[in-house]
Amino acid sequence: MKNNFFALCAAILMAVASFSVMADGENKRLNDLTEPTLLSESENAQISKKLDDISEKHGMDIVILAVDSTEEGLSVEEDATERYESMGFGDDGVMLYLSMEHGDWYILTCGFGITAITDAGIEYISEKFTDDLSDKNFAKAFDTFVSQTDEFIAQAKTGKPYGAGNMPKKPYNIILCIPVSVGIGFFASLIINNKWRSKLYSVSRKTKASNYVKPGSLVIDASRDFFLYKKIDRSERSDKGDDGSTTHTSSSGKTYGGGGGKF
Amino acid sequence: MSTLQEYKCPCCDGAIAFDPNSQKMECPYCGSEFEMETLVSYDKELQNDSESNMKWETNAGVDWREGETEGLRVYHCNSCGGEIVGDDTLAASKCPYCGNPVVMMGQLSGGLKPDIIVPFKIDKKAAKKALVNHYTGKKFLPKVFKNENHLEEIKGVYVPFWLFDADARANIRYKATRTRTWSDSRYDYTETSFYNVTRQGKLGFSALPVDGSTKMADDLMESIEPFDIAEGVPFQTAYLAGFVADKYDVDSKESIERANERIKKSTEEAFENTVDGYTTVVPASSSISLANSSAKYALLPVWILNTDWKGQKYTFAMNGQTGKFVGDLPLDKGAYKRSLWGLAALLSAACLAVSYLIWLF
Repeated sequence: MKNNFFALCAAILMAVASFSVMADGENKRLNDLTEPTLLSESENAQISKKLDDISEKHGMDIVILAVDSTEEGLSVEEDATERYESMGFGDDGVMLYLSMEHGDWYILTCGFGITAITDAGIEYISEKFTDDLSDKNFAKAFDTFVSQTDEFIAQAKTGKPYGAGNMPKKPYNIILCIPVSVGIGFFASLIINNKWRSKLYSVSRKTKASNYVKPGSLVIDASRDFFLYKKIDRSERSDKGDDGSTTHTSSSGKTYGGGGGKF
Repeated sequence: MSTLQEYKCPCCDGAIAFDPNSQKMECPYCGSEFEMETLVSYDKELQNDSESNMKWETNAGVDWREGETEGLRVYHCNSCGGEIVGDDTLAASKCPYCGNPVVMMGQLSGGLKPDIIVPFKIDKKAAKKALVNHYTGKKFLPKVFKNENHLEEIKGVYVPFWLFDADARANIRYKATRTRTWSDSRYDYTETSFYNVTRQGKLGFSALPVDGSTKMADDLMESIEPFDIAEGVPFQTAYLAGFVADKYDVDSKESIERANERIKKSTEEAFENTVDGYTTVVPASSSISLANSSAKYALLPVWILNTDWKGQKYTFAMNGQTGKFVGDLPLDKGAYKRSLWGLAALLSAACLAVSYLIWLF
């Protein structure tokens, strides 16, 4: 009985300790640091649970961080990277970072996250949630991000990660396909019918006299080619890894991938 | 008295000045830099540029000898004003150009005797067959059109042409570029080198034909080219038996401009083909003059059919030497629209089905 009492006390102390860590924001996967907060309490709990479930399922840190503004002197990419590291998340992870002041979003990837979500993947995922961000429908945007990230990581674990030319199948868009098909059909028909119509016309002026050139009469008796000047244009190469992800290195020396934009 | 030498930038044509720091000529407008020797050479090339001078010596045709035109008759068309020439056995009833009745005027007089005539090699039977072939495979030709033609009205006409011979001497300057690309770990580089390219030389032309009759559409006559003038023979009135001939009403001097246009274009094209090894080649200046120029008056064989359909005149012509047949045909607008929309519907449905299959797999 005494032993059971101590065991119960130890369990309660550990739970309280764990709760206090989460309450401080350390290692919490949904960090809504904005004032006022973006999510209601119930939305917060729902998204947090989903983040935790998927993180545990994949053995990675899937994180959402929203801040009022980017740290002074840092770019969005640098601030997202510094905060991910300072919050002590793991070597494999994906973080959606929002900076509300200028409406910036950034998806930061590291470790297996770089493999799972390439530049093309970031573009694909962001297209699905940026409209909701713009409409201030943050719960839906976060839910979409988490679901898409889950799907991309699961696909990457099969050994064939989504990338350029290998994206998840979108629903068949009949509203788009009908007018596009009609447009293509009409222009193809126009080209074919105009080709048939052109057979009616065989009269045209000759612009050249090639048929009346005396054979072997072309004589080039002076031929001069001289160099005038040269100019060199250069363009920066995009630093893409083998898996199609643009990467950068943090101040601690770790490699991260990512990409962002405005909402 | 001293003169101030001014150099122009080969890149933007702005006035350029010597830069003491780089010891080069520098363009203040586009920032390009040049070696002094380069500009001196470039300036010499520019001084060689001159206007084209395409003058001709034309002495085509000869006067008729006494008695030579006795067997020739002239017929006049009151509708189009055409005057056609035939021998005294010709029973010409309709104008080959417009199809209207012609009246006999009398014996041929005036004008020049042709230097050359290229005799007909293709007969009327082959011409009729060629016309029927011309109708086949034309999806939008009105069905009734070919039934309403009068195949018997196909006429063999010797059409007057001026044949021009000349050696074109050309001095053509081009602006050319060559590009090279490479990369290092941070940048992709593209180096563009600019060159001044000059070609001087000559190209010979022989028997370039220009239609000497206003009744014959120039584009129609150019469409049945080429003629092989090597098969031509000195003109004899006997060749007109069974055919008609048109008298020229555009003289050789008036035809020169058309000959010059075609000679200039072909010369420039032939010279440009010798400029190779560059990424881009753009002509900067062209100067062409003519040497050994001469013109001949020739009659060339053409089968002609004129027909009216729905108030519009259609003229067909066949090269009487090679059998090349040309002539614009009327369009069945109803058939065209039905085909356009029908095929569009079919292709749209096919496109939609393919897009679904692609999505499915």
